[in-house]
Amino acid sequence: MTGAVAVADAPLSAASRLMRLRRIDLIGALVTLATLLGAVVWAFPLYWGLVTTFKPETEIVQPGVQLWPRDFTFENYANVLTQTKIGLWYLNSLITSGAVTIIVVAMAASAGYAISQLQFPGRRFFWAMILASFMVPIPALIVNHFVLMSQFGWVNTLQGVVAPQLIAPVTVIIYKQFFDQMPKDFREAAKMDGANEFQLLFRIYLPMNWGVTTALAIITFIAAWNLFLWPFLAVSSEEKLNVAVGITQVHDAFGVQYGRDLAVAMLAALPVAVVYLLFQRRVTQAIMLSAGIKG
Amino acid sequence: MSPHAAPHVELRRVTKRYGAFTAISDLSLTVDKGSFTALLGPSGCGKSTLLRMIAGLEPITAGQCFINGAEVTDVDPAKRRIAMVFQSYALYPHMTVRQNIAFSLSIAGASRKEQDARTQEVARILQLEDYLDRRPAELSGGQRQRVAIGRALVRKPEVFLFDEPLSNLDAKLRVQMRLELAKLHAALHSTMIYVTHDQTEAMTLADKIVVLDRGRVAQIGSPLELYNRPANKFVAAFIGSPSMNFFRVGLTAVEEKTASVALPGGRTARVGLGAPPAFAEATVDLGVRPEHLSLVDTHDAEAALSGRIGIVENLGNLTLLYVDTPAGQLIVEGPGDVGSKKGDLVGLKFSAANARLFGADGATL
Repeated sequence: MTGAVAVADAPLSAASRLMRLRRIDLIGALVTLATLLGAVVWAFPLYWGLVTTFKPETEIVQPGVQLWPRDFTFENYANVLTQTKIGLWYLNSLITSGAVTIIVVAMAASAGYAISQLQFPGRRFFWAMILASFMVPIPALIVNHFVLMSQFGWVNTLQGVVAPQLIAPVTVIIYKQFFDQMPKDFREAAKMDGANEFQLLFRIYLPMNWGVTTALAIITFIAAWNLFLWPFLAVSSEEKLNVAVGITQVHDAFGVQYGRDLAVAMLAALPVAVVYLLFQRRVTQAIMLSAGIKG
Repeated sequence: MSPHAAPHVELRRVTKRYGAFTAISDLSLTVDKGSFTALLGPSGCGKSTLLRMIAGLEPITAGQCFINGAEVTDVDPAKRRIAMVFQSYALYPHMTVRQNIAFSLSIAGASRKEQDARTQEVARILQLEDYLDRRPAELSGGQRQRVAIGRALVRKPEVFLFDEPLSNLDAKLRVQMRLELAKLHAALHSTMIYVTHDQTEAMTLADKIVVLDRGRVAQIGSPLELYNRPANKFVAAFIGSPSMNFFRVGLTAVEEKTASVALPGGRTARVGLGAPPAFAEATVDLGVRPEHLSLVDTHDAEAALSGRIGIVENLGNLTLLYVDTPAGQLIVEGPGDVGSKKGDLVGLKFSAANARLFGADGATL
């Protein structure tokens, strides 16, 4: 009897499983479609901007939607590269962003290590200060920064652009959290092997957290590259501008020319896009880390 | 006894406190040069703390530590000429086996040539030559264990400290690594101090065992001394598996080397005494090991207790019988083909020489 019931049940349960799978499939298809639609909506302006840079100005201002250039031209890029100082701005951005990245990572790792692993008077106070500084929005300090840089004689210099960007409490907090999680056996084993604190940090702790370091370095670099407000205030000479501020100067100097303006914007975004595409996983990880702290 | 009987590591009246909690209390200990000493005890008895105090990883609250005659109480761990193998192995995951082994040499500024030579030598001793360029994640548990030992070995330390190094291995590998450690000690003749909660490891490896109980030394002795002549009930219970059986008995007569006791169930027995009696308790604890209890007929004149078999555990070469008696449940170790089964009524006998009496303070009488 039981066997008969089981036999009768079997096709029924198989059918209901199939139904459920179909339902899940349908939901999956709808979600995929919605995601695809979202991606298209998101990507279209980028595509539109890119295509526009390859159109002559006369074609750009014509009414209607032209999805592909009728007359394909590099004229806009040629204009930007020959008539502006974008090469110099690139270099400035590279120097300032590189310096900010290296100094922030080195300082944050050291500070995070000290607060996490060392016992010294004032450790709790320093930790409280770092947490407190995290609560203060950086733009609120911009006037103070300007006054300070001015007193240093660093206004309109690259070091003046770099210095205020070195305040990175989030990076310290992330490092501290990661160092806190390291089993103490590694530290003790290295201590028994004769390692000092610097060797512990640079030969054990940092290499063992290399993924975090890479992620933090990338996101710090991208943030420094994209920074606008502070470099805009701190620098007045065209030779000291970074790319983010420089592109606004193109518009100011030559008036509205969509093709050229968008070409300069594309060139400015290119390095960040390349960095993102190369280190996509690390960038996502870094954003998650920062979000974890901020959340 | 060790062939080189000179104190190599000495702790003089050391105490370790964590706030109000005392982990180690006024403990003194000497470890002979070239000996293999095991610190044995249950979890929380302070054995790892003691080892870490010798290593310099844990500051000593009071007392002194000497290595090779020199006081090292406040000396940096790296300067004590000791090496430690951690329970977790603590192998640096981002380094290869070669780099792990050579790390201390690299820190000490040894030349690349010397690092390579010594790493190769250690790898040869530990049969790690084929794994030198692998990372720890690519090694088995036993290989990782050998790398951890290699990392200690390469420093040519005066004293090796082992903190439960085999506890992360499976049973089979543990036996194998135990044998390798014994061979290593025989080959190096180095002083080794070994922390474990596993009495089998301590009994098989060590020539001296320090049994710790709540931060104090319960007994120091050779494995057989501890087994045959436990100084107190704690050691008697801790050493031996299955554990010694204990039950309350009444003292009826005391002579110079033996005592007569009244057993639960009404019978009497004679029990050997370690020293001339100097006690006046009416009731004491009697301890007898499972292998010293044997099954007899309930009416046998030698049967000290009788009871019914509750559980039978057949282990192949031997059988453990859990017998419910008026003295409580007693474990009896019999041969593999014991022939008794659950529910059988049996008598239990033991000889005077194999039973121990313990006073109210737990000390062996």
